[in-house]
Amino acid sequence: MLDWTAILETVAPETLLVAVGLLGTLVGAFLKERFARVAFKLGALALFAAAALAVYYWEGGEAFGGLVTTNPFVNFAKAVSFGVAGVALWIADGFFDRHGTLRFEYPLLMLFAAFGMGLTLSASDLMTLYMGVETLSLSSYVLASFHRDSPRSAEAGLKYFVLGALASGLLLYGASLVYGFTGSTNFEEIAGSEMGIGLLFGMVLMISGLAFKVSAAPMHVWTPDVYEGAPTPVVAFFSAAPKMAMMVVFANVMFTLFGEAVDDWQLIIAIISGASMVIGSFGALLQNNIKRLMGYSSIANMGYALVPVAAGADIGAPSLLLFMTIYVIASLGMFAGILMMRRTGGMVEDISELGGLIRSRPVVTLALTAILLSIAGIPPLAGFWAKLDVIQAGMAAGLLPLVIMLVIASVVSCYYYLRVIKVMWFDEPMEEFQSADPSVALTVVVCGLLMFPGLMVFIGVLGGWTDAAAMGLAN
Amino acid sequence: MEVIAFWILAVIVGAAAVFVIAARNPVHSVLWLILSFFTSAALLVLIGAEFLAMLLVVVYVGAVAVLFLFVVMMLDVDFVELKQGTLQYWPFAVLIGLAFFAEIVMVRTVGVGTRLEPSPGADSNAEAIGQVMYTDYLLLFQVAGIILLVAMIGAIVLTLRHRPYAKRQNIARQTARRRADATELVDVTPGKGI
Amino acid sequence: MELTLNHYLLLSAFLFTVGVVGIFVNRKNIIVILMAIELILLSVNINLVAFSVFSGTITGQIFAMLVLTVAAAEAAVGLAILVVFFRLRGDISVDAIDMMKG
Repeated sequence: MLDWTAILETVAPETLLVAVGLLGTLVGAFLKERFARVAFKLGALALFAAAALAVYYWEGGEAFGGLVTTNPFVNFAKAVSFGVAGVALWIADGFFDRHGTLRFEYPLLMLFAAFGMGLTLSASDLMTLYMGVETLSLSSYVLASFHRDSPRSAEAGLKYFVLGALASGLLLYGASLVYGFTGSTNFEEIAGSEMGIGLLFGMVLMISGLAFKVSAAPMHVWTPDVYEGAPTPVVAFFSAAPKMAMMVVFANVMFTLFGEAVDDWQLIIAIISGASMVIGSFGALLQNNIKRLMGYSSIANMGYALVPVAAGADIGAPSLLLFMTIYVIASLGMFAGILMMRRTGGMVEDISELGGLIRSRPVVTLALTAILLSIAGIPPLAGFWAKLDVIQAGMAAGLLPLVIMLVIASVVSCYYYLRVIKVMWFDEPMEEFQSADPSVALTVVVCGLLMFPGLMVFIGVLGGWTDAAAMGLAN
Repeated sequence: MEVIAFWILAVIVGAAAVFVIAARNPVHSVLWLILSFFTSAALLVLIGAEFLAMLLVVVYVGAVAVLFLFVVMMLDVDFVELKQGTLQYWPFAVLIGLAFFAEIVMVRTVGVGTRLEPSPGADSNAEAIGQVMYTDYLLLFQVAGIILLVAMIGAIVLTLRHRPYAKRQNIARQTARRRADATELVDVTPGKGI
Repeated sequence: MELTLNHYLLLSAFLFTVGVVGIFVNRKNIIVILMAIELILLSVNINLVAFSVFSGTITGQIFAMLVLTVAAAEAAVGLAILVVFFRLRGDISVDAIDMMKG
């Protein structure tokens, strides 16, 4: 018999998501497009409920004979990624409605993608990890090409698919070697085995597969193109929820699966991290498309987030959670802002189109400015404290060269964030944007507010939570 | 004896795989792919993994390869034009491939095990898999179902189009039709017409 | 000589290499890239089954079954995206994927 108590303690949010997803499929099959608008809101509510469940079952547990294990570290990441995924889904319906593609399949795919994220986060077995990653990836490929009448969306989906399938292949080949040389797929048993050259090779392949999923160099090539081509609400989702989830999965795999072999992988992660920072910051300098710019920005930020991973579990875990949480909130706010860039002819994406936004939309401009300054890491804002935390973790682990690169990359990236702000504040006003959906505007403002020093309490509380979550990892 | 059989089959699989990526015509590529799947299945039989070998044929040849063939033939591509200019990348790719291959071969096992044990704790291979499939690995079995559902929804959402001018058969309407709905009995007076 | 695990690992490594090379060498036809991905998954399957049989644990064969399922799903989604792309562009050469650069 199934032990339902253990299952609920471990994977309650995923159970809810999959149940709602299956029900939605059934209802959608009968109601067709009439169900679409409701499905968006219902899906978002299900995601919020899943986030709440992840908090409710904070301590986690173990189920299905060790296939899934959760702890506060994982549950924190689940709560944040389900939460931001819910917001990204809640604000999406206006966009799809105007493009005539308001279909109920979108929220369903989003729910299954979130299910994949949750399963990957809960994984304590190579097979669970792989199945979770694939559920997330397959849904993501379809979401990226969801605008099937737009050549750019189709191209984004195709590129994402080919490179993503290659990355899955690498991850899988690595996993098969790890299984072969340890004789087990269970994380604990693998962690207890001796490190040989075969296992090392499997680990390197798995790292490169995971690096793709968090868009870290050298597996970053898809990021700018997919960010530019995919529909904006989809990118708002991509840039937040899976990033949070997969980064924590990455850390989880390194910390628990290969926890004994820190010396073997620390340098690899450090190199990936440094390369991502350089490519992300310098690649963004010449971009004119705001979505593309944010794509490069996310590569650089994943580079920063990998510093605490390289620092190891004891030092890095709390700063990783803090940095990623603040980054995904900022990123979500930024893409909600991009969703507002709409004129009579449709969406516009050039940075110059933001000219003089301060005159027509002062509140939104203030919020966007706060978000951009926060991502850039300007002192009183939330992003600064997160980055400081990351730097401290890096220093504590003796990764001085990496910290120096982080500071230089941050300074370089200030240039293009400030350029966007300059355009919004001082350039000649362009024609006014059409009125935005209230939910979108509200998201921008709330995300902007969360960056403000007045809400420093937020960082304090968040810091307490991430510390508590990381404690769970240690036990 | 088994080693000889292995090498014969392995050479066929390897050659077929090379032809998959080297063939000029995508239809030929699919056929080479089918050959490599079949031969791989034979290789699995050789070490006693009969159930997986059967699945390989059923899923790969029966579903995947046929899907590929279907799409290759559906997309009306000018095959003569394709594949020109491929050669210029060969030396580079072969170099990378050799480096990669050498790297993988270096990682050879020494003593993971030499005995063949395809069905631990059971009489037959299928029984060994069946014992754990729905018990220990129930979760993964269910997730596999979810993945297939996602693929199905995805494929439908991307490719299904409702054409308003397409004629469809409505079986309920068709069977509900009575003679009175479609025919009318008219008494025609001679010389007057209807 | 006896049939050993190394035989199978060698073959699997070769197939994997052919698959990876196939993705990069092919500049003209995206369908062949999808087939190269199938070759990679086939190589993983051979790896998993060989490890499973030679180490006497059934896990590897279950893993291979799951990979098989995912391979079928991946082929379906990949071909669906390809069909969408072809409808819009009328071309499936790799050089046609060129709208976004930078």
